[in-house]
Amino acid sequence: MSTAPAGPQLELRGVTKRFGGVAAVDGVNFEIAKGDIVGIIGPNGAGKTTLLNCISGVYHLDGGDIKLNGSSIAGMAPHRVARLGIGRTFQIVKPFGSMTARENVGIGALFGSAHARRGVKQAFALADEVLALVGLKAKADLPVSALTIPDRKRLEVARAVATRPQLLLLDEVMAGLNNVEIDEALEMVRSVHATGVTVLLIEHVMRVIVGVCRRAIVLDSGQVLAQGEPEVVLRDERVIQAYLGERYAKRLKSS
Amino acid sequence: MIGTAASNRRWRRIFLIVGAILAAYALLAPLTSLEAAQSANIPLLADKLWFRIATIIAMFAVMATAWNIIGGITGYAAFGNVAFFGIGAYTTGMLIAKAKWPFLLALPLAPIVAAAFAALVGLPLLRLRGHYFAVASLGVGVAVGELVQNIDYGGQPVFGGASGLFLPILRIDNRGLAFFYLMSAAAVFSIAVTWWVLRSRFGYGLIAIRENEEAASVLGVNTTAYKVAAFALAAALTGLAGGIFSQWNVFINQENVFPIEYNVQMILMALLGGTGTVFGPAAGAILLQLLIQFLGGTLPISFDLPFVSSDARPIVAQVILGLLLVVVVIFVPRGVIDFFGGRTRLSLSYLRRSLRETSL
Repeated sequence: MSTAPAGPQLELRGVTKRFGGVAAVDGVNFEIAKGDIVGIIGPNGAGKTTLLNCISGVYHLDGGDIKLNGSSIAGMAPHRVARLGIGRTFQIVKPFGSMTARENVGIGALFGSAHARRGVKQAFALADEVLALVGLKAKADLPVSALTIPDRKRLEVARAVATRPQLLLLDEVMAGLNNVEIDEALEMVRSVHATGVTVLLIEHVMRVIVGVCRRAIVLDSGQVLAQGEPEVVLRDERVIQAYLGERYAKRLKSS
Repeated sequence: MIGTAASNRRWRRIFLIVGAILAAYALLAPLTSLEAAQSANIPLLADKLWFRIATIIAMFAVMATAWNIIGGITGYAAFGNVAFFGIGAYTTGMLIAKAKWPFLLALPLAPIVAAAFAALVGLPLLRLRGHYFAVASLGVGVAVGELVQNIDYGGQPVFGGASGLFLPILRIDNRGLAFFYLMSAAAVFSIAVTWWVLRSRFGYGLIAIRENEEAASVLGVNTTAYKVAAFALAAALTGLAGGIFSQWNVFINQENVFPIEYNVQMILMALLGGTGTVFGPAAGAILLQLLIQFLGGTLPISFDLPFVSSDARPIVAQVILGLLLVVVVIFVPRGVIDFFGGRTRLSLSYLRRSLRETSL
């Protein structure tokens, strides 16, 4: 392409994924602009992770289309989506157990985005840079088994960042962390975003959504319930209802 | 432990030097002094059988090293790799016996045909994981042998049928020695390929697949292509060994090029030596093949086993191999090569630690 695409970086149109009779993701539409940082929230079972799996090519769509910079990526294998510049993490971290932290991140650097392919040596040099970015520099040579849970979450992010994505999908990287660790992880997400990467993150911790996201998308039962500025969305009656139930929402309103 | 790092490094250096001298002796001594040694009746060299055993060891070093690429590095426990050995043997054998090709022209076709077959069956097979892949690959291994023996065309067996395939004997001096060198060269080549794989982008991709296939794919590893390539590479090396075997042995049939026990033996060798390593599988092949030959009573240096009649030796050998497999998997999960890395030593605490690691 000779000119930069004027449209959104990521565009979802009627994205649908069914498991048997259940539509886990049901006609989801939204757009994400380049350089944005967007949070996806929703109660358990709302279809957040399924949606991420759809975007990253882990699941095949049952309907709708997903476009990256205007061209469809629906039906592509995960490695092709990754090479086009969409990096992702897993909610339950999936490290390469026999490798050191550096080697884990090196895999991301060795593969990942097709436009910046590099040799083994350069890939490990990049891995060191990324490890420094996420604050794992001192632990580069440790095996995964020697890393703490927060460090493993960092490693998961580092691996995805090392693929040099234009869009990074983060699946609950703050889950299970304490307050101090969340602050550190927030700092990490901000610094990754500051390198020019668009970020789409799933999060249960509202502090994270309000703290870093410019926009929030609320999913419920596989559908988009509301989207907009985090503070506004979180006060939306329908969102409170989805999270806390109808009765609680009414009581909140009448009080 | 006392002074481990320094003393282990010293032991490692001693081991490497002794190993290099022994390897150089084994490879070069027969070349310079074969006749002199035989006339002087020096043990090992004087015995023609020794060359046969050394060649078989090299052959298994190729197979175990090749299996390591798919089973050890990629983590797909292939149980039917003997199919590629047989396909390589029959490819070269048919070209020589039926098409009258010269051996050196027919040999390169063995790895090519074996790899092509592996790619073909690998595409569906490698979608399976864990036990399912192991069982399915075993099925392919058995089926290919049966097919080769039983395919008829116009009432005539295509591949020699049950009576096998006879090849013309290669008319060269020191035949046994030549094939010993050829098979050793194949073993060295396999080891070199493994060395290259483990340092390449390809190898890192394979290890990532072994450790977590889903994570590998979202990081950009084309898992299907990589798995099939690893399977085909393993098949090519195994097929090469089969091709050399066919001309060396002059006679091939289902029994000698598709033996099911080879599947287990090559895996056991890789496990014994150390899966995922460069030299482990070859080291395992040397140790285990010597043990197999010794238990079978075919080693030039041999003695009677207590309580075992000579007829029962092959059966006892199978029992001991089975027990060895269990012991190795439980107590030496990283293989004996682990002791030569300069980091660990065989000790009671090592065995205890292994037991803790491998038991649930």
